[in-house]
Amino acid sequence: MATPQAQFIPWLESRLPFCAAWRTHVSEYQTARDQPYLATLPSLILGTLIFLALSGAVLSLFYVAAEGAAFHSIQFIIRSVNFGWLLQSFHTTGTTMLFAAVYLLLFRAILGSSYKGQGDLVWFLELKLFILLLLTGYLGYVLADGATSYWSLHNAALAGARLNSFPGAIADWIFGGPAGPGTLARMVVFHVVLALLLFTVIGALIIAKRAVAVPVTRKPVALHPYYTGQYFAAFVVFALIFAILVFFAPHLGENHLNLAAASPLVVPAVLTPPWYLLPIDAISGILPGTLGGIIAVIAGLAVLYALPWLDRSKPGVSTGLLYKFLVFILALDVIALALAAAAPPSIITGILIKLFIAWYFLHFLVLTPLTSATEAK
Amino acid sequence: MAGTEAIGHGDAEAHDAPRRDFLKILTLSTGAVAIGAVAWPFIDALNPTREGEAAARPIINVGGIAENTAIRVDWLGQPIYIRKLTTKQIADNQFVVPESLPDPADFSARVKPGYDSFVVVVGLNTGIACELEGNNPSDPRGPFDGWLCPCDGSVYDPLGRVRSGPAHKNLAIPRFTFLNDTQLQLG
Repeated sequence: MATPQAQFIPWLESRLPFCAAWRTHVSEYQTARDQPYLATLPSLILGTLIFLALSGAVLSLFYVAAEGAAFHSIQFIIRSVNFGWLLQSFHTTGTTMLFAAVYLLLFRAILGSSYKGQGDLVWFLELKLFILLLLTGYLGYVLADGATSYWSLHNAALAGARLNSFPGAIADWIFGGPAGPGTLARMVVFHVVLALLLFTVIGALIIAKRAVAVPVTRKPVALHPYYTGQYFAAFVVFALIFAILVFFAPHLGENHLNLAAASPLVVPAVLTPPWYLLPIDAISGILPGTLGGIIAVIAGLAVLYALPWLDRSKPGVSTGLLYKFLVFILALDVIALALAAAAPPSIITGILIKLFIAWYFLHFLVLTPLTSATEAK
Repeated sequence: MAGTEAIGHGDAEAHDAPRRDFLKILTLSTGAVAIGAVAWPFIDALNPTREGEAAARPIINVGGIAENTAIRVDWLGQPIYIRKLTTKQIADNQFVVPESLPDPADFSARVKPGYDSFVVVVGLNTGIACELEGNNPSDPRGPFDGWLCPCDGSVYDPLGRVRSGPAHKNLAIPRFTFLNDTQLQLG
């Protein structure tokens, strides 16, 4: 007679086919050899999201979502909660790592033209991930309730209140009016809801990426243990960078004015967001008015969405050297844009910001179609 | 399975097996330590903070309490009465037969051994919740020189035992320890 354990496994397997799923998706899943380490980015993003969700859950136990009180509750977390300083740093630095990974993911996709052909949906999901992350990151930045966070939220709520008709209604639903009670409490809810949405998007992204992977014909290898080892190595390096930032640069890319408590009577001299929001923040400022800002942001993201059509090369054809060179220039352009936006406002930085934004749109709307069409021949 | 063979050749592979096992154990144990080290801050953050712990376990100076009076301390939202008994009150209550009381409890159950002149109780009537009177010698104290409930008239003796009235339970005794003759720690 079989032991209870021997009976339990088939009983469970017939109801919850975990072993079969493990075989199909992991231990017998056929993959190509010699994939680059950066192909592990979606998994690293998922891991970072889980980490952020855990640290955010613990932080939310002590966070007080009310203007003024929020800043002090974070101070309480840092000073009084056991390991609160570490968890707070985990959450902010985790955001930095997450954005770095997503920016790198987008850069690789543009560089390799992986949005062509069947990769289009993957590209759209990556953009969706990016946009949701920008929103979630902005909300998290606002929750810090420091001097710049406070004024950023204040200005956004005021600008929203000035909008009319449908955009105004949306702004009211989000902020609860210019002087609505509990605006920060709303921001907490949106922050959490969008973060949960991020999980579904990254899940869909990983599944979609697998579905369109090129079938392996020559000497395939199983995902486990061949690539789990690689994932592990990539994870260790990622965690090492993360740990260095947590312990030696916990405020990397933050506006240091945000470390001071907000005062309703003092506007900070430089009202810049954290580094990961700088490019989109600069783009939002080039057109006048609130609607202008919204239109500029939509345009900046729309050119990314339009990339599969702007790129005139055939699917499957590797991208040309000039195109690759231009993508590197684009990356430098975005970094330079962020640096210019972080600098104290002056005439020169104002001109530089306009130049860098002009190059950004020039790259997508003119240079990409031109080079891809000429190099495809 | 095709293509999953390890990279290595025959004898060399057999020779490497213990080495590989060692590396595997090393990796797994290091990973387990790392996961534990990362998980601990998350768990420890759920513990009470030091400020919270200190507030929950206050140290009270009882050296200044005059005989026949009680002080009132707010502790976790409850009024705590700490009373210093007179020798007469001790003598009166020491040999009361517990079975003759509504809620039988003898003298040693109401005080700490070695500190039998101090009575520490929650100063709320056990019938309807109402703060008791009788901390000062000039307060109305009832026939047993203890405490009296201004709301329902329940009578308690100096040890906090109910003697009469609608209430039928003795006053609750909070958790506390004497640190020395003059200091007492609640909680």
